[in-house]
Amino acid sequence: MSRIWQGVALVLFVLFFAAGLRPERGVYDVDGFAHLPMMDEGRRKPVDTFARNLLTVFSGKSSVRTEAGERLSATEWLLDALAGREQTLDYRVIRITQLDLLNHLGLEKRSRFRYSYRELMPALPKLEAAAQAAGQKDSRDRDLYDREAIKLANRLALFQLTLSAFEDPRLIPADELFPAIQRYMKLEKEDLPLVVPPLEADGNWRALMSSLSAAHPVMQSLAAENEIVVNPLALRWGSMMAAYALEEPDRFQDALRGYQVTLERENPALLKNLRFEVAFNRVNAFVKSAALYLLVALMSCVGWLLRREGWLIWARRLLIWTAVPHTLALVARSLLSGYPPVTNLYSSAIFIGWGAVLLGVLLEGRGRPNGMGSLTGGITGFLTLLIAHFLAGEGDTLEQMRAVLDTRFWLATHVTTITLGYMATFVAGVAGIFYILAGLLSRRLDEPTQKEMDRILYGTAAFALLLSFVGTVLGGLWADDSWGRFWGWDPKENGALLIVTWCAIMLHARWGRMVATRGFAVMAVFGNIVTAWSWFGVNQLSIGLHSYGFTDSASFWLMVFCLSQLAICLLGLLPRRFWRSGLKAG
Amino acid sequence: MQRLVDLFLSLKLTVTLLALSMVLVFAGTLAQVDKGIWTVMDQYFRCWIAWVELPIFFPRSMGVPGWVFPFPGGFLIGSLLSVNLLAVHSSTFKVLVRGRRMLVGYGLLALGLLITVGVVLGWGTAPVAATESDAFWRVFFRLGRGTLAGAVLFAACWVLYKQRAGMVLLHAGILLLLVGEFFTALFAVEATMTIKEGETATFFDRSQQFELAVRDTSGVDVDRVTTIPQSLLKPGKMVSVEALPFDVRVRGRMRNSNRPMPLDSVSEEARAFYPAYAGFGERLYVARAREVSGATGERNAPAVDVELVDRETGALLGRYILSVWFYPNFVNQVWDMPTRVQVKGRAFELYFRNRREPAVSESGAPYAVTLLDFVHERYEGTQTPKDFSSEIRLVNEGDGIDRELRIWMNNPLRYARRTFYQSGYLPDDGGTVLQVVRNDSWMIPYLSCMIVFIGMVAQFGLSLKRMRKRELS
Repeated sequence: MSRIWQGVALVLFVLFFAAGLRPERGVYDVDGFAHLPMMDEGRRKPVDTFARNLLTVFSGKSSVRTEAGERLSATEWLLDALAGREQTLDYRVIRITQLDLLNHLGLEKRSRFRYSYRELMPALPKLEAAAQAAGQKDSRDRDLYDREAIKLANRLALFQLTLSAFEDPRLIPADELFPAIQRYMKLEKEDLPLVVPPLEADGNWRALMSSLSAAHPVMQSLAAENEIVVNPLALRWGSMMAAYALEEPDRFQDALRGYQVTLERENPALLKNLRFEVAFNRVNAFVKSAALYLLVALMSCVGWLLRREGWLIWARRLLIWTAVPHTLALVARSLLSGYPPVTNLYSSAIFIGWGAVLLGVLLEGRGRPNGMGSLTGGITGFLTLLIAHFLAGEGDTLEQMRAVLDTRFWLATHVTTITLGYMATFVAGVAGIFYILAGLLSRRLDEPTQKEMDRILYGTAAFALLLSFVGTVLGGLWADDSWGRFWGWDPKENGALLIVTWCAIMLHARWGRMVATRGFAVMAVFGNIVTAWSWFGVNQLSIGLHSYGFTDSASFWLMVFCLSQLAICLLGLLPRRFWRSGLKAG
Repeated sequence: MQRLVDLFLSLKLTVTLLALSMVLVFAGTLAQVDKGIWTVMDQYFRCWIAWVELPIFFPRSMGVPGWVFPFPGGFLIGSLLSVNLLAVHSSTFKVLVRGRRMLVGYGLLALGLLITVGVVLGWGTAPVAATESDAFWRVFFRLGRGTLAGAVLFAACWVLYKQRAGMVLLHAGILLLLVGEFFTALFAVEATMTIKEGETATFFDRSQQFELAVRDTSGVDVDRVTTIPQSLLKPGKMVSVEALPFDVRVRGRMRNSNRPMPLDSVSEEARAFYPAYAGFGERLYVARAREVSGATGERNAPAVDVELVDRETGALLGRYILSVWFYPNFVNQVWDMPTRVQVKGRAFELYFRNRREPAVSESGAPYAVTLLDFVHERYEGTQTPKDFSSEIRLVNEGDGIDRELRIWMNNPLRYARRTFYQSGYLPDDGGTVLQVVRNDSWMIPYLSCMIVFIGMVAQFGLSLKRMRKRELS
């Protein structure tokens, strides 16, 4: 019987992940368009990725819901915007959450904080003035309002830049052509999305507008002597845009086919991995894994408190299953970017979650489930993937590395070790929280459980010390290897040192018998604060030599997190008589 | 006395000191919002008593009064921890083996120490070491040397201390790391070398030391340069140098000065307090600026405010603001702004600049670095740098060295006890900026990393095994 249920569950599980894979269907071949290659932020990627990232930067999610309740994919939204369709102005895609800024711009607060370009238009001069005033301040004197104003202005400028890159200069009157070309040359010095691929193997990518300017009648009349050749792929792109703007699906399809055939013939290497990447985007494995981890955490919590072994077995099973797509997605990311798994804040969150889940599986073991592994793995997996989801709004998460950070060797050794160190402290912290809450609020924490938890806490803390020490020292060695300073008291280094020191304090306090299990659990919870500060807090100070992430609402949530952890520590210090699990001291 | 000994023998002291060090590191990190990393290092970490400022713990907008309180500094905590560690280990971890086993143990220990010393002194490494292949192998070999030392030392500890080998070894590694960092703090020197494409450099600019350089350009063949080190440039002091016909009276020193801007672009009230300078200060505004934040990795631009006084008559020859902003190597050679002065028919050029140090190898022979080519790659369609590299030629006639080498990101050159790193570039990629570091204890972290790693793995492996055993029984 159990076998049948397992089979059914497994089928449902696979369907859950595979569901996103079905192609987008419609009057236009949006699916084909989503698979076109482009060069953006130094990486070749499908249009699908570009559209998702751009939309996420604005709205915090990768699809649009129109007023009529219709759901648009990111690629459809991008097509509408690039082709300059009127309704693009009314899509609510610009997310503004800062209340003072909304007030200043004369916008009403609304539930999801998303506004359309048309709503924002009258306020643009005000926004520009606010951003400019903020830009003139020393970065240390900017408040949240200033930073949000700058961020919003930058986002709109990015959007303008993107639209400019897709202009069709063939429509420009002859006497305005040369100023336009001059403007294009200036724009080409910026970071533009490039969609016109080279026809030979080692050629350069070009932006659409500058490629198409060669096709302008004026340029072509000059061509008699100079032989100006227009890249045929640029012409196809131009036709696609024009057909979409004029709402002529057949011409759009023709141009798209023509493009695909030409590229397949001339430079097929550029199509490599694009299908894979689009499929990766569509499966959206991390978000789905997060949901399942939450389920794992709830199941193991109930199963543990009520001593239902069946629940625990299912929680463990689901944890192991979910670890598979999580791992595959992690590997896929690595393959697509060509870097080791952790390169930025986003990927560190995913990796921490992954490590915690594996550690959870390990703690569960193969025999009778104890629930602790599923619980810590599930909670940490869920929370870190949730954090990653919110961090994704900064652009391409598969970004290329700046020169100083680009050493795969160090990324693979230092960054992964230190991130696993964060993971171990978080797992110990989650176990500590559970120890305190279970002991305080339930009678479930009996003598054998206490012993078991003591082992888990000690083992994880020792593991955390080992990983964070080696990771920190390797980081110093990277610094020594890159700029000749093993230790520079840089904020990021200090953050790592604090974790190492805290783990060392925990273990010494235990060896010196200054604390027993309860004290050790409280210390493990405090470890969450130390680690969170090192992971996120130091980035908030300002950008250090090797800070790799900066987000603003993060400060707020970091504060909330630290206070909650402190509260749990204080609860853990309540005298024994308040604990429902009547434990003996020691 | 016994109580003092007991104190140093307790793990409570260890925990207390570690906790204090966390507070110190936390404070020193927060302080970097307002101050440069070097100032913070001196004020918090590389000192015996740190002076912690109260406002750093609060948002700057709260206007908390700027009280300062003493706190044990990095050196104090570090040395107390070292004493504590040595005391605990010498009393609890005693060598209990006797006879042949002891001899073998001590023999292994001597061998391990010999390897450690050899690794630190760089025995068997090439005199000119530039990377030709990936960073991977270079670092791997270095860690390999550390592992070798660690493995031999572990064997020694295993023979001598048996079950406690890991514990002893890992703490020895920590101690080594602390000692190494102490020496680095005292003796490491950082400098830069700025070279335009096709040009040759024969000196370094020390990053943290400055000097006032006066060049007498009135000679026919040679210019005579007189330098006054920063230690003599104290506010209110009068500096007399034989070779110069004038004295220098120091009116003020600035830790950081703003980037020069036209005098008419600043506000009325700023100008009202601005001294009547001669030279660049006549038309440019250069004044005390808030220290750069250590968290941004920017540099401070120190400046001196001086008066030149005729030595015989005591007459004032002019008041000058001299900032490193005027020194070409500070601004990546975007401009060169020497302050020119005429005294008694002689022409002088003044710079406040990074202290200059000639490039000399261990044998005392000078060497020169020529930049043959500088390459700056960017990711396609972006301004994001992908790689910088400098093709250089290293010539030391005295030692008979003439080699063409490549220095690029994460792949430095090691030569004459210095390491040359690719650090920056001049405008329009017209030249390179190399970071040049001399740190004789640079191999110690590689060693202690592996020693501690081996020790920890042994120790935790052992306790896991014990736990497993207890579980079974």
